[in-house]
Amino acid sequence: MGKARRPVQIIILFIIVILGGYAVSAAVSGGGSGKPAVGDKPPAIKLLGLDGSVHTLEEYKGKAVVINFWATWCTYCVSEMPALQAQWQKWRDQGVVVLGINTGEDEMTVRNFTEQLGVDFPVLYDSDNEAVQSYGVVPMPTTFFVDPKGKIASIHEGELNLATLNDQIRQLLSP
Amino acid sequence: MITNTKCECGHQNRVGTVLCEACGKPLGEHANSTELLEMRYDGAARRSQRANPNFIDKIWNFFSSVKVAIYLIIITLIGASLGTIFEQESNFINFDPSTFYKEKYGTIGAIYYKLGLSHTYESWWFVLLLVMIGASLVICSLDRVLPLYKALSKQKVRKHLQFLTRQKVVYQGPVEGDGASWTERAVKPLKKKGYRVHTDGDALLAEKQRFSRWGPYVIHIGLIIFLLAVLFRGLPGLNIDEHYWFPEGEITKIPDSNLYLKNEKFTVEYYSEEEMSAEFRETGKIVPKLFETKAVLYECTADCDDPSKEPVLQEVERHDIRVNDPLNYKGFKAYQFDFDLTPKLRSVTPALVNVKTGEQYGKFRLDMTNPQQQFTLGPYTLELKNKFMDFSLNEQGQPVSKSKDPNAPAFLFLIKGPDLPAEGSQYIYFPKQVDKERFQQDAINDKLGGVQNTLSLDVLAMEDVDFIASSSYLNIRVDRVMPFIWLGLGIVMLGLIMGFYWHHRRIWLRIDDGILTLGGHTAKNWFGLRREVASFLKTMGIEVDEKQLDNGGNRS
Amino acid sequence: MNFLEISRQAFVIAFYFYCLSFIFYVVAVTGKTWRNRDPKRHERKWGTISFATSSLGLLSHLVYCGTRWAYSGHIPVSNMYEFMSFLSMMIMVAFTVVFLIYRKILLGVFALPIAIIIMAYAAVFPQEVQPLIPSLRSIWLYIHVTLAATGESFFAVGFAAGLMYLLRSIDFGANDKQARRQKWWVEFTLFSIIIVVGFIVSVFTFRAAGYEAVFVQNATNIDTKLEQDSTIEQEVYNLPPIVAPHDSKAVEVQPFLGMDRPWFEAPVWMKGAHAGRQLNTVLWSVLFGAVIYLLLRLILRRPLGALLAPALRSIDPDDLDEISYRAIAIGFPIFTLGALVFAMIWAQQAWGRFWGWDPKEVWALITWLYYSAYLHLRLSRGFQGRKASWLAVLGFVVVMFTLVGVNLIIAGLHSYAGTD
Repeated sequence: MGKARRPVQIIILFIIVILGGYAVSAAVSGGGSGKPAVGDKPPAIKLLGLDGSVHTLEEYKGKAVVINFWATWCTYCVSEMPALQAQWQKWRDQGVVVLGINTGEDEMTVRNFTEQLGVDFPVLYDSDNEAVQSYGVVPMPTTFFVDPKGKIASIHEGELNLATLNDQIRQLLSP
Repeated sequence: MITNTKCECGHQNRVGTVLCEACGKPLGEHANSTELLEMRYDGAARRSQRANPNFIDKIWNFFSSVKVAIYLIIITLIGASLGTIFEQESNFINFDPSTFYKEKYGTIGAIYYKLGLSHTYESWWFVLLLVMIGASLVICSLDRVLPLYKALSKQKVRKHLQFLTRQKVVYQGPVEGDGASWTERAVKPLKKKGYRVHTDGDALLAEKQRFSRWGPYVIHIGLIIFLLAVLFRGLPGLNIDEHYWFPEGEITKIPDSNLYLKNEKFTVEYYSEEEMSAEFRETGKIVPKLFETKAVLYECTADCDDPSKEPVLQEVERHDIRVNDPLNYKGFKAYQFDFDLTPKLRSVTPALVNVKTGEQYGKFRLDMTNPQQQFTLGPYTLELKNKFMDFSLNEQGQPVSKSKDPNAPAFLFLIKGPDLPAEGSQYIYFPKQVDKERFQQDAINDKLGGVQNTLSLDVLAMEDVDFIASSSYLNIRVDRVMPFIWLGLGIVMLGLIMGFYWHHRRIWLRIDDGILTLGGHTAKNWFGLRREVASFLKTMGIEVDEKQLDNGGNRS
Repeated sequence: MNFLEISRQAFVIAFYFYCLSFIFYVVAVTGKTWRNRDPKRHERKWGTISFATSSLGLLSHLVYCGTRWAYSGHIPVSNMYEFMSFLSMMIMVAFTVVFLIYRKILLGVFALPIAIIIMAYAAVFPQEVQPLIPSLRSIWLYIHVTLAATGESFFAVGFAAGLMYLLRSIDFGANDKQARRQKWWVEFTLFSIIIVVGFIVSVFTFRAAGYEAVFVQNATNIDTKLEQDSTIEQEVYNLPPIVAPHDSKAVEVQPFLGMDRPWFEAPVWMKGAHAGRQLNTVLWSVLFGAVIYLLLRLILRRPLGALLAPALRSIDPDDLDEISYRAIAIGFPIFTLGALVFAMIWAQQAWGRFWGWDPKEVWALITWLYYSAYLHLRLSRGFQGRKASWLAVLGFVVVMFTLVGVNLIIAGLHSYAGTD
C-alpha cells in the first residue's frame, strides 16, 4: 500500500492547479469581454463594399490598415473624413489602406455622402452591425490601427485630426 | 517515530488507524479510555495520514482537512455577503463604475469600488476561494471514501468487547441458554426490521442502509461536476449572451450565427379590471399580464456568407416568446427581455398632386431604408437624390441627419415633367406634418425651385403610413454546458436524499458466558436507532427503556 | 360568501387556534407540577388536546391557503403577506412532522410562538390579491417558493429546539464569566423575538388609531428588467415618522404626542422599496419591543431566560440537540432543492441565466453555505450541544435576513416580493 498513491496525488494536484490557474486568470482578465484590445488580431470581417464586391481583411494582408467606423449622422465622423481622405492619398502607395466601415446606413445615403466629400478609399457597409459588435465599437468614430503584421497597434475613440492620424500611420510603418 | 500499529488480534493496521481494522479494538491513545469511540470513517486511517509527510503530502493534508473545508466555506460565505452591500457592476449595462459608486454612496462607495467589491464575484480572490473549495471537495472525498469503503466491505462479525461497550447505544445483560442459539433466534426479528444479518457463532452483526454512507461523497461528486461545468462555461463558443432589438415585422440577422429572427408581432397585455380583486382595483394600479413576441426563426441555407447576395432563408422554428417561455432551437435560446412601444416610420405612400387642379398622378411607396430611387407618376419622373432620417441643419446651414432613426425623415427629389425646367427641379419632402411646419417645407422648396406652387406630395389616407409599431428586445443565449450543470445538481440532490433521509445503522452483539453485550451505531438519528434496538430486545424478551440504551456523552 | 371571504376567515381562525394551542402546550408542560395531578396522565391528556388544537389550526390555515388559491388562480406566495402566511403554515407543518417523530410536547411551546409571530407579521402587509406580473407566471413559482419555505420552516424548528437546548443547558444560577455571557446572549435572543412582537403591536396599534403621515419623495428607479417600476413618489406612513424617506418633503403629518415632524432622514444607502418607511418601522419596533421587555422584566422581576429554563428541566438536553440537528438535516435537502436547484431552473427559464449573483440569490447561497458548515462542524466532537445550538439559532437569523432583510435594505430582482 502507499506506493501507487503518490503519482495519483501528484496528478490530482496538478489538474487542480491547471484548472484553478485557468479559472483565476480568466477572472483577472475579465473573462475576455470579446472586445479586441491592442495587440490582438482584428476580428475577421466580410462585408459588401461600395464598389459592389465583398471585402475581407485577408485582402490587405501585409499592409497597414486603418479601420474607421463611421456614419453620416455622426458629426465627428463627418469632420474627420477629409483628414482620412488626405492621409489615404498620402500613404496609399506605401502599403497603407484606409478602410471606412459605415454602420448600418443604406446605399444611397452612403453613396451620396462619399461622392459629396470626394472620398475614394474603400468603404464597406456593415448593414447588420456585425462588425460593430465584433469590434465592440461604442462611441463613433472609432478607429483601429492595424500594423502590417496583422496586430492592432492602437485604438482611437473620437475625432482624429490630420496630424495625429499622420503620426499614427507613421508609427504603424516603422516597427 | 514509528508507532506500533499491530493489534492484539494480529492485524497490522496503517498509521492513523483509530480502531483496529479487523476486530475494532481501540488503538493507541484511544485504547485505555472509557469514552465513546470515534467512529468516523469507521476508525480507518485516512489516505493522507502518513508517518513522514513530505511537501506534497502537506498540501494534500491541507486540503483533506474538514476543518480547512469549513474555514473555506465560512470565508466564502462572508466574501459573498460583502458583494451584496452595494449593487454589482454586472447588474448594469451602461454606466461608469469609477464614478457611479462615489456619486451614489460617497466615500464608502469609493472605497467599495477601490477594493474591487463592486465586482466581488468576478474577483480573483473569490474565484480562488471557489477553486480551493473544489480542491477540498476532491481531496477530502478521495481521502476518506476509499478507506471507508474498505472498512465497511470487510467487516468482521466478532468485534472486540471494548468496541461494543464504547458505542453510543449499548446494552449489557444476562440471557438464558446457549449463546449461539440465542444469536440464531435474533436473526429473524432483525431481518424483519430490514437488517442484513451476519452471524459468527455467538456473535452477530446486523446492518442496514449502508448506501446512505455514500451520500456525502455523491454530493461532493455532484458539486465537482457543477463547478467544472461552470468553469468550462467560460471557454469560447460554449456560451453566448447578447441582447438585440427586433423591430416588429422585420427579419433581423443574429450576429455570429446563420440564424435570422423575425418578430411577427409584439404584444403587451394588461390585466383587465374583471381579473383583479375588488380591493386591488381600488389601488388603481395597472399590472402587465403578458409580454409576447411571436417569433419565427430562420436558418440560412445558401448565400449566407456573401454580403452581395440576399441569403436564402428557411424557417426552422416558430414560437411565441414570453417571459418564462423562451424560444429554443437546438440549444439556441431567445428570451423576452425588454420592449419599446415607440412607433417608428417604416414607409409612407404619398400621392403626387397637382396643386392647381387637384389632379392626382398616382401613389408611390417610399421606404425609410433602401428606398427605390426612380418613380414615374403620370407625366412626371421623380428621382430620389438624398434622404435624411433625422433632418437637421448644421452650423453651416447644410442639411444633415442627426441619427439613423427616422425621427424626422426628409427626402430630396429631382422632379422632371411638364411646367418644370428641362434639367428638373429639386423638391424636399417631409412625410411628417410636424416636420413640414418645423422645418418650413414650403420655404425650402421655394428656394429650391418653387415646385410647391405646381406640385405637392401628400399622404392621402391613414393606411398610406406604415409604422413599425414596436420593437422587442430579446436576450440571445447559447449555453452548451447547461446539461452538465443540471447533471451536477441532480447528483447533488441524489446524494442529499441518500445521506439525509436514510441512515446507516449497525448493531453488533456477542454473548460471553451468558452475558449479552450489544452495541449500536448510526451516523444520524440516534433516537430512531434506540427505538429500534429497544423494540428488537422486546421481541427477544428483554424489556428495556429506550433512554437507558444511551451511553451518554457527546455523540459523534 | 366567496373564496376570498372564506380564506380571510380561515386565516383568523387559524391564528386563534394557534394562540389557543400555545396556551394548551404551556398548560401541558407546566401543569405537570401542579398539585393533585398525575404528571404522566396530565401530560398525555393535555398533550393530545394541544396537538389536536394546533392541528385544527393548521387545517384552517390550509383552508386559507386553498381558498385564496382558488380565488386568485395562483398559489398564494406572490407577495410578502402571502409568503409570510405560507411560511408560518410550513413551520406548523414542519413542527407537526417533527412532533410526530419525537413526541416532545415542549417543542410546541417554542415552535408555536414562531409560527404565530410570523403569521402576525404577515398580517402587517397589504392583503389584497394581486395579479401576477409576467415574470411570476410560471409553474416554478409554485415549486420554488413552496419548497424553499418548507426547507426554511425546518430550520425554524431547528432554531426552536436549539434555543430550548440553550435554555435547558445553561445554568442560570452560575455567575462565572462564561455563564454570564451565555445568559446574556440567550436573553438577547429572546429580546430580539420580543422586538418582532413589538413591531406587530406597534403596527396594529397605530393602524387601529388610523394614523397617517404623507411624504413626497424624489423617486429614483433603476429599471433593468421588464417589471414596470411604478414610480411611487408619495410615501404614506402609518407610524409616526421618526425618520423621513431620503430626500423627501412632508406633506401631511398628524401630530403624535407633540411630535409633528420627523427627527431625521433615512440614509442614502438604504435603497430597497420604501426604505425610509421601513427604517421608521424598525425604530418603532425596537421602541415597542423595549417597552414590552421592560414591562415583562418589571412584572416578573427576573430575566426571561431564567423564567423559561425551569419549564425545560424535565427534558433531556441530548434529545433537544438531536431534534435541532434532525430538523436541520431534514430541511437541508429540501432547502437545497427549493431555494437553489429549482431557483436555478426557474432563473434559467425566466432570465436566461441560472445564476446571476442577485442579492437574494447570494443570500440563499449564504444560507446554504452556512448550514453546510453547520453540518460539517457537527462531524467534529466539539460542535455538538451548546455550540451547535448557537449555530442553529444564528442560522435562523441568516434565514430571516434572506427572507426579509434582503428585501428591506437591498434592491434586487426579487424586490417584488416585499411591499410594506
